Amino acid sequence: MTATTLSPRWSARFGRRPMLLAGLTILGAFVAMAVFAPLVAPYDPILHDAGAKLQPPSLVHPFGTDNFGRDVLSRVIWGARIDLQIAVIGVVFPFLIGTGIGTVAGFFGGWVDALFMRIIDVVLAFPFLVLMLSIIAILGPGLGSFYIAMALVGWVSYARLIRAQILVLKTQDFAVAAASLGFSRLRIMFRHLLPNALAGSLVFVMSDAVLVLLNGAAISYLGLGVQPPVAEWGVMVAEAQGFITQAWWITLFPGLAIVTLAFGFSLTGDALADLMGVHE
Amino acid sequence: MSVQLEIAGLAVAFRDHREERPLLEDVSLSLERGEILGLVGESGSGKSLLCRTIIGLIPSRKLRVTQGSVRLDGDEILGRDMQAVRGRRIGMIFQNPTSHLDPVMTIGRQISEGLRHHKGLDDRTARAEAIALLTQVGFPDPARAVTSYAHQFSGGMRQRAMIAIALACDPEILIADEPTTALDVTVQAQILRLLMELRDRRGLSIILITHDLGVVAQTCDRIAVMRHGKVVEVGEKRALLAAPQHPYTRELIASHPSMPHPEDAVITHPHDRRPIFEIDDLDVSFPVGGGFLTGKREVRALKGVSLRIWPGETVGIVGESGSGKSTLARAMLGLTRVSAGDIAFDGNVLTKDRDKTLKHLRSDAAMVFQDPFNSLNPRLTIGQTLAEVLKTQGETRSDKIPSRIGELLDLVGLDRSFAARRPRSLSGGQCQRAGIARALAVNPRVIIADECVAALDVTIQAQIVDLFRDLTQRTGLTLVFIAHDLAIVRNLCERVIVMHHGEIVEDGPSARVFHQPERRYTAQLIAAIPDINPDRPINCGPPSTQQEYVT
Amino acid sequence: MRRYRFVLFRPFQFLPVLFGISIITFVLVRLIPGDPARILLGTRATPTAIANIRAQYGLDEPMWVQYLYFLKNLASGEMGKSTLYKVDTLKLIVTRIEPTLALVVAGVVLALVIAVPFAAISARRQGTAADHAIRIVSTAGIGFPSFWLGAMLIILFAVRLDWLPVSGYGERLGDKLLHLILPGLTIALSLSAVITRSLRAGMIAGLSSDVAVAARARGMPESVVFWRHVVPNALVPTVNLLAVNIGWLIGGTVVVESVFAVPGLGQLMVRGIFSRDYMVVQGVALTFAVATVLINFLADIITVALDPRVEI
Repeated sequence: MTATTLSPRWSARFGRRPMLLAGLTILGAFVAMAVFAPLVAPYDPILHDAGAKLQPPSLVHPFGTDNFGRDVLSRVIWGARIDLQIAVIGVVFPFLIGTGIGTVAGFFGGWVDALFMRIIDVVLAFPFLVLMLSIIAILGPGLGSFYIAMALVGWVSYARLIRAQILVLKTQDFAVAAASLGFSRLRIMFRHLLPNALAGSLVFVMSDAVLVLLNGAAISYLGLGVQPPVAEWGVMVAEAQGFITQAWWITLFPGLAIVTLAFGFSLTGDALADLMGVHE
Repeated sequence: MSVQLEIAGLAVAFRDHREERPLLEDVSLSLERGEILGLVGESGSGKSLLCRTIIGLIPSRKLRVTQGSVRLDGDEILGRDMQAVRGRRIGMIFQNPTSHLDPVMTIGRQISEGLRHHKGLDDRTARAEAIALLTQVGFPDPARAVTSYAHQFSGGMRQRAMIAIALACDPEILIADEPTTALDVTVQAQILRLLMELRDRRGLSIILITHDLGVVAQTCDRIAVMRHGKVVEVGEKRALLAAPQHPYTRELIASHPSMPHPEDAVITHPHDRRPIFEIDDLDVSFPVGGGFLTGKREVRALKGVSLRIWPGETVGIVGESGSGKSTLARAMLGLTRVSAGDIAFDGNVLTKDRDKTLKHLRSDAAMVFQDPFNSLNPRLTIGQTLAEVLKTQGETRSDKIPSRIGELLDLVGLDRSFAARRPRSLSGGQCQRAGIARALAVNPRVIIADECVAALDVTIQAQIVDLFRDLTQRTGLTLVFIAHDLAIVRNLCERVIVMHHGEIVEDGPSARVFHQPERRYTAQLIAAIPDINPDRPINCGPPSTQQEYVT
Repeated sequence: MRRYRFVLFRPFQFLPVLFGISIITFVLVRLIPGDPARILLGTRATPTAIANIRAQYGLDEPMWVQYLYFLKNLASGEMGKSTLYKVDTLKLIVTRIEPTLALVVAGVVLALVIAVPFAAISARRQGTAADHAIRIVSTAGIGFPSFWLGAMLIILFAVRLDWLPVSGYGERLGDKLLHLILPGLTIALSLSAVITRSLRAGMIAGLSSDVAVAARARGMPESVVFWRHVVPNALVPTVNLLAVNIGWLIGGTVVVESVFAVPGLGQLMVRGIFSRDYMVVQGVALTFAVATVLINFLADIITVALDPRVEI
C-alpha cells in the first residue's frame, strides 16, 4: 500500500460512486436490522416451539425453522446484533493499539522500533486463529475472551501497516521540509505524518472487519465464542450441522447473512480505497 | 533523399461521456530516409502521443484518431494491423529504460524474443545475433550481458540494451522518446553519439523526441516544434535555430539554459566578511543493507568536503547522480548525521553545539526541494502550510499572518487566491513557487535549493531561475543552488562548485570554471552539455570501455 | 547461485523468532490459573505422577528456570503426555501432520488452478460482463466463512448428489484423495478469491505498464505480451501475498478439519481445548508456528527464483 491522500473534492464525488453506495446501503441495512431487531423479527429468537420443528421455508417461516422450532429468519435478524458487535469491537481495539504502537515505532525508530518489530515477528509466526484459540483456551470460551484475544493479537497488522507508512512518509520531501523549518517532532508526527499514514489503515479497517467477522463466527462455530442459545450466525451453522442431511435451510441462511455483511464491508473498503487513492 | 514516413493532417481526440477535446490537431510531418528528425516540445505538447499514434499504440481507449493518414513508404499504415510493422520496420525506445525493460527476463531473451517471432530464428541463432547486437551498441562483455537482467546495469547501459532490443529485427525507422532525459549529462552524450553512429552505419531514420533544444541542435537534421498538440514550426536545424518564425519557438530558444542571460554581468560578492557556512573535512556515510552474519557495509556519500560560503553569494553545486551534492545540502541544514568533520553556520559549530546551531539554522536557513508535489504536505492548503511556518517561527503576530501570507505569494509571483488551494490542484511550477514561498516565510538569510528546477519544463525553469535571480539581487539572500544541469548554474550563479564521487573537484567563479576548467572531469562535464549552438558540438570524451555493472 | 546463499544463513535469523515462539507457548500454559502440575496431568493424577512432573519441569523453581526446563525437554523431543489420548504429545502430533499438510497443499494448488485463469480472463477483458462477474464473485468470496462453505459443499455434493464422502479421511491413497476434495475445495475457494483479486490487479497494472508497451512496440502479439511479460511480473507479489496469508490459511484448516472431521492438527487442537489437554494445545501451537516460519522461508526461496532483483 502506498500513502496518499483524500482528494480535495472527495465528498462531492460521493454520489457518483455506485460501489460506495451499495456498500453503505448493505451496512446500513444490517445496522437497522440490529437496532430494530425486536420490531422487525417476526418471532422470538430463543423460544422453542415444539410444534414447528425443522419446517422448510414457507410463507409463515420464510427461512424455515430449526430443530427446536425456532424461526431461522428471526434468529438471523437477532444475530446481526451480535455479529455487528463482533466486527466493530474486534476492529476498534486492535486499530487503536496498533496505530499507537506503529506510529511510535516508525517515528522513533531505534531500539523501540526493534523491540516492537521482534514482538510483531513472533506474533505473526503463529497462524492467527491458532494464537486466538490458544488464548481463548486459557481464558475460557466466551465473547469476552474473544475480544481480549483480538486486542492481544489483532494490533499487529495495524502496527506494521502504520509503521511502514510512517517510514515512507518520513523520507518524503514535505517531512524533511517540516524538519528543516524547525517544527517540533510532535507537530511533524501528528500534523504531517499520521494524517497521511491513516488513509491506508482506514481502508484496511474495512477488510479487517471482514476477517474479524469471519474469525468471530468461526470461533463461535467451534463452540469457543458466543454460546448457545444466543442467536449468532456461527453458532447457528454449528447447531445446524447435525441436521445437514434433512434441513439445508438452517445452514444456508445464517451463512448468507455473514457473506452479505462481509460483502458490504468489502465494497465500502474498495470504494474508500478508490476514493482516497490508496492501493493495496 | 526520399520521404520514408509521411504524416498528413493527423488528429487525435480525447473523448469520454462528458467532453471531447483534441490532443493532436492537423499534424503533418515527413521523415526522410537516413535523417534524424527532432521533435521538440514541453510536457503536454503531444510529442509522445504522436509517436505512439504512428505505431498504433494509443495509450488509452478514450483516445481516437479522428482524421489524417500515416504512410510508410507510400503505404497507409494508420488503422492497419501494426504487428508486422512494429519492431520489424519501426523500432522504438523510451525515456525510462528501467521501467521499459522486463525486470524478470534476461536482456538476451528480450532481444531474441523479437528475432524468433519476426524472423523465425531458432534459439541458438537468435542468441548469437543478440550477442552481435549488444557488441554493436557498446557492451564490452556481450556474452555476459546476454544472460544478465536489467537491474544489473547502470542507466546508460540499460538504454543501450533497449536500443539493441529495438534494433533486433533491423527496422528502418527508430523512434526515440526522450531517450536521454533520465541520464547523466556525460552518459547522455554517449547515447546521443551512439544513435548518430547507428544512423550512419545502418542507414536508420530516427525521430528523436526531446524537451531539450540543445539535444536536437546537436544531433538532428531537421527540427519540428510542437505545442498544445500542433506542429508550430518545422525546418532545417540551423535555419530554424538562427531565425525562428513562431513566437513559441523564440521563447523556447530564449529559455534554453545554454543561452547566455542578457544581464550576464553577474555581481560577485567579496570574500572579506566571515563566511556564513564553514565546512571542514566533512564525511557522511550511510549504512547499506547488511544484516545478520553478512556484516554492515557503508557507502561514503561525502569524503572530506571542505567549503566556505560567504553572505550574499549565489553558489551553484553541480555534479552527476551519486556525486553527493544532495547529501551535502542536507548535512548543511543538520538533516543528516555527520560521520566526521565540522559544519559551522554563522560561527556556530553544528557538530559541537548542535542545539544552538540548529536553532540558528531553523530561523535563518531554508530549503527548496526537487519534486514540487512531494515537498508540500498534500493535506494542507498553501495558506495553511505558510501559516504553520509563520506560527512556528513566532516572528509574525498572529493577526498579521494572513497579510504576510499575501506578501509571500506576491513575492513568488502567485495570485493571493492560491492560499486556499491544495498542492494537487497546482501545476509543477506553481507548486515550486509555493515551496519557495514557504522557504521565504522563514525570512531566511540562506536558501538551499536542491535540484529545484529539474522536474520542470524549460520555460517554467527559466521563470523560476529568474525568480531566484530577482530575489537574490533584491534581498541580499545567500543562495546555494544544487543542480545537475550546468547550463542553468552558469546563468544563475557567481560561483560554481563541481562534485564527483563525494568530493569537491573544482571550486571557483563561474566565468573562470566554465571557460578554463582546471580539472579534466569538469572539462568533460562542460563539454557534454548539449549546446543550442550546433557549431559547438558535444564531446563525450573517450568511449567508455569498462563494464558498467552496478553490482 | 550467489543469490541463494541466504538459504544457508537464513535459518540462523529464525533463532530470535523461534525463541519468541517458545516463550509464548511456554507462557500460555503457565498463565492458566491453578496448580501447573495438575493442569499438565489432568485432575485425576496420582501423587507420584505429580511429584515426577514437578521434578521434570522444575515446577518448584523460579519461572525462568522452569522455562529452561521447558527448553531442555523440548530439545529432547519431550512435549509431555496427552491427558486425553494417554500418549506422548510429540507422537500424537507426528501422526496428525499428514492430513493437515495434504489439506494445505491441496488448498493452495486448487486455489491457483482456479485463480489464474479467472484473473487472466478478468484482466484481459477489463470492463466486460465477464470481468464484472469475476470481480463481484471474488469480492464476495473473501467473505465466505469456511465452516459454512464446507457445510454447503457437503449438502450439495455429499448429501444431494451423493458424489463424495461427507467427512473423515480414509485409509488408502485413493480414498484419502477422495476425502480431500471437499475440504481442499473449501480452503481453495476462499483463498482463490484473495488471489484472484491480487492477480487481477497485478495483471491490469502489468498490461498498461511500460514493460508491456515496450513489448508491443517491438511487435509482440498480445498473447506473448501477456503470458511472457505481464504474468511473470504479476506472480511475484502474489507469492508474497500467499506467504502473508499462509497463517490465515493454516488457521483455516483448523476450522475446515472440524467441519469435515479430518483427523489433522487443527482438529487435535480444538479437541485439546475442550478437554483441557494443555500439553496437546501447546504442542500443536508450537508446531503450527514453526511450520509458518518454514513456509515463509520457502516463499523467500520462490521469490528469489521468480524475481532476479531480489537479494536476501
